Amino acid sequence: MTEAEEINGREEVEDDEQDQKQKKSDVKRHDDGAADLERVTDYAEEKEISAANISSAVEQFGNQRNKENELRVAKEKELQKVQVKKEDIELIMNELLVSKAHAEKVLREQSGDVVAALEAIISN
Amino acid sequence: MPSSDPLPPKEGALFRKLLKCYELKQYKNGLKLSKQILSNPKYTEHGETLAMKGLTLNGLGRREEAYKYVRLGLRNDLRSHVCWHVYGLLQRSDKKYDEAIKCYRNALKWEKDNLQILKDLSLLQIQMRDLEGYKETRYHLFMLRPSQHASWIGFAMSYHLLRDYDMANSILEEFSQSQTSIEAHDYRHSELLLYQNQILIESDRLQQAVDHLTKYQAQIVDKLAVRETMGDLYIKLQQQEKAVPIFESLIRRNPENVLYYEQYIAARQVTDSSAVVSIYRVFQEQYPRALCPRRLPLNIANGDEFRVVTDEYLRRGLRKGIPPLFVNVRTLHQVPEKAAVIEELALQYFENLTRSGHFSRDDADAGVPVEPASALVWTALFLAQHYDYMRDTDRALEYINVAIDHTPTLIELLITKGRIFKHAGDPVEAYVWLEEAQSMDTADRYINSKCAKYMLRANMVQEAEEICAKFTREGVSAMDNLNEMQCMWFQTECALAYQRMGRWGESLKKCHEVERHFAEIVEDQFDFHTYCMRKMTLRAYVGLLRLEDVLRQHPFYFKAAKCAIEVYIRLYDKPLKSETTIEEIDIENLPPSELKKLRSKQRKAKKKAELESAQAAQAQVKREQHQKSKQPANQETDPDAPQLDELVAEKLERTDDPLEKAIDFLKPLQHLAKERIETHLLAFEVYYRKNKLLLMLQCIRRARAVDPAHPEVHSCIIRFVKSLTSAAKEEPFNEHVQQVLDKATKELIGSKTPQQLNDEFIAKHNASILHLYEGARSLYELDNSKKAAAIKLVTSFNLTKLRLEEAIKIYTALRDGDVFGDCEAEAASYQQACHERFQYARIFRNVEELEAQLQEKEAAKLRAEEEQQQLIHVDSSEPMSVLATAAAAS
Repeated sequence: MTEAEEINGREEVEDDEQDQKQKKSDVKRHDDGAADLERVTDYAEEKEISAANISSAVEQFGNQRNKENELRVAKEKELQKVQVKKEDIELIMNELLVSKAHAEKVLREQSGDVVAALEAIISN
Repeated sequence: MPSSDPLPPKEGALFRKLLKCYELKQYKNGLKLSKQILSNPKYTEHGETLAMKGLTLNGLGRREEAYKYVRLGLRNDLRSHVCWHVYGLLQRSDKKYDEAIKCYRNALKWEKDNLQILKDLSLLQIQMRDLEGYKETRYHLFMLRPSQHASWIGFAMSYHLLRDYDMANSILEEFSQSQTSIEAHDYRHSELLLYQNQILIESDRLQQAVDHLTKYQAQIVDKLAVRETMGDLYIKLQQQEKAVPIFESLIRRNPENVLYYEQYIAARQVTDSSAVVSIYRVFQEQYPRALCPRRLPLNIANGDEFRVVTDEYLRRGLRKGIPPLFVNVRTLHQVPEKAAVIEELALQYFENLTRSGHFSRDDADAGVPVEPASALVWTALFLAQHYDYMRDTDRALEYINVAIDHTPTLIELLITKGRIFKHAGDPVEAYVWLEEAQSMDTADRYINSKCAKYMLRANMVQEAEEICAKFTREGVSAMDNLNEMQCMWFQTECALAYQRMGRWGESLKKCHEVERHFAEIVEDQFDFHTYCMRKMTLRAYVGLLRLEDVLRQHPFYFKAAKCAIEVYIRLYDKPLKSETTIEEIDIENLPPSELKKLRSKQRKAKKKAELESAQAAQAQVKREQHQKSKQPANQETDPDAPQLDELVAEKLERTDDPLEKAIDFLKPLQHLAKERIETHLLAFEVYYRKNKLLLMLQCIRRARAVDPAHPEVHSCIIRFVKSLTSAAKEEPFNEHVQQVLDKATKELIGSKTPQQLNDEFIAKHNASILHLYEGARSLYELDNSKKAAAIKLVTSFNLTKLRLEEAIKIYTALRDGDVFGDCEAEAASYQQACHERFQYARIFRNVEELEAQLQEKEAAKLRAEEEQQQLIHVDSSEPMSVLATAAAAS
């Protein structure tokens, strides 16, 4: 990667530094202990792990995650299949002063049954 | 990926320099460089340069221009991840985290594997607690850089926070397998091991946790944590015999840790109270200087044994003169039998100390040496505190006066005397005693703060501020300094004082200040996301995240929120008139005498207003000076902090939508303080006024879940039913809503009418005044013609069975006329009756009496001042300090 990568790299470094400076000046405000804090914030060099040891693990976690994702996607699909009416969502939002996302989620979870959704929110 | 709109070499070099300058905070140079690039006619519109120019301007504090340029740059180069990233950084510095997340996501669309953007994104996601998103980002980072430690840790943590313990554990396990060489005393490695152990414990795999600890014991630096965890795990795993020696050694290490004793006893599996007491006896022998083994048996022991251990404990404390002795045993008073024993013992000490200087007659007979003379004072103080706790004001005062006569210079005595008056309902007399105590040791911060608090209870905000000013930074107004220091006990008490005085705007201002402190504390966690990961203090980090999640559970927040909600409700019920229309009263139709009165009132008001505006102007000047003195410091510390709007009392109390404002305060309570019934009762009041029936229902259900017998729940139900019927008359409900309401009403009251329900309630709870009060309130609410009956219901209750707080509640309801309608006569006679019952309570005393008392005091003060003036003439060695005290006294 060329220039663009570098750009972002620098910005981040700057940001970190800004954070640290901020911390330092905070400490000044609280008088003492500045030296201590500087000592603890010094940056330790990151040790690298040799790639040979971990490739199988990486693969394993990747698989695991893919499985999770499949499950989640399936669940979401299931939820998306549920037919919900716009007016029902609006009713829930209006009666219970909740956000649209929340109203829709509960309604889908209750398979589109608006009475059940209202019940679910008030008895929670 | 190359930039979508690349610059030629010369400009490219300038652009890199520009970045360097921004990084080094050389904003002015950066600005010049950006101008150089933009001055090339070919690149005046160059998006990335424009965006960077904006970011540089932001560094110079020119926020508006910054937004202008960054947006312009973005518009010119929508496909540049640099522009999006810059826009995200700008939003982030403005604390608009949601917006910043969107920007980063857009940046990632054009550059999906950019490490820096991903890291930045993960920080914002954890700050906003988008845990699913955080997991995704962490996974992405892990796959990109599996060779870095931080990738593994963050990846594991993302699963831990989502409570997927298995996955978190296996990531960490895999990670430690790959660690080949471990140095001795590697703190970070040690913390990582303990973190993994915490995950095992949280996932309830206790045996595995024990094995893990045993295996890695040698590598863990925090030996104490190992032992504590080990002992705890053995108890949970029913291997008590292994836990016993662990807790024995922990107690040896620190004999003042209550938890160690509890766990030791759990490990010994002793439950019989005298057996537990004898265990403590052994520890008393072993650690004669430790307090815990002496105090803890008092909680367990019963009957005669309790008398024996308490006798020992109290004698020791009184002989030594330990000031907080009473506070230390106060919790025992919850058990009436124990309170009785304590009272009996203390009375016996007092009697014998007065007679012979011994704690008991047996001691005297046995010829034991007499106790120190101070023992009598401490015993009298103890008794005063005891009777104060029992709300027996007369006897409490009797003993505290004995003590004060004996040793007039002991500050604790004066504080206690003040406290007795406070509990008896006279905050003014209370503060007088505290002020006296404070004057005896002006260098003591504790008594200083206490005094300020008592002044606030007596609605003396100005005086409280002056007292506090003795300890705040010089040259700054005390109020501002206390706010800056987040001194929340002061601010909540202040809010309540203003609320009592009906200065709604000022009260709200204090509440909002407290709210801002909490927002700031949440904000402050941002720094820790990078810091803790790097330093591997993961246990503490997870602890911090969990604390921040429930931060507004804190009692300070609760107090401030409750006050704010109450004030907003009040402002909704009785909105303030706009400032100009207040004075327009129909003058012409008044009789001359009334007119005269009105005129003099107006004159007085005008005078007062002038005075106030002069004060306000003064304060304004002060504030400006303060601002000026603060500004350079401010820029230095936090250039990024967005300026919050100044809180102005007048604006706050004239808000357009008080209920919405109340809901802002309410939401965190509903979320975090579910277990407190006040939350749901307050919520009901808000939604009742908004006429949201389903939400009222929600509040009632939640309140009933906490305490179904709470008196206020009843009147909530009645009012709910009443609103239901009147709303149904106006227009039919949506059929779905109707269904829910029908079902719920049936559950709540069955087929009864509200009247029936209320009658039953009154009959059932006729022994509890608070229930009767709610019943009476509902009686009037349902049928205005039953006013007399309703009032009689509460006022005829046996006054001797009433507690002060209950009497005050009823009296204020009658006086203010907002519960039972106008009822001045009843209020006056009730006040009289209450005055006889609670003679010290200020609220029941009549005004003339109070004024006479006040004048007498003023006169006494004047006399004292004159005397002191004369003294100064006689002895001029210390004129300033005497003058100062005289001035303070006036």
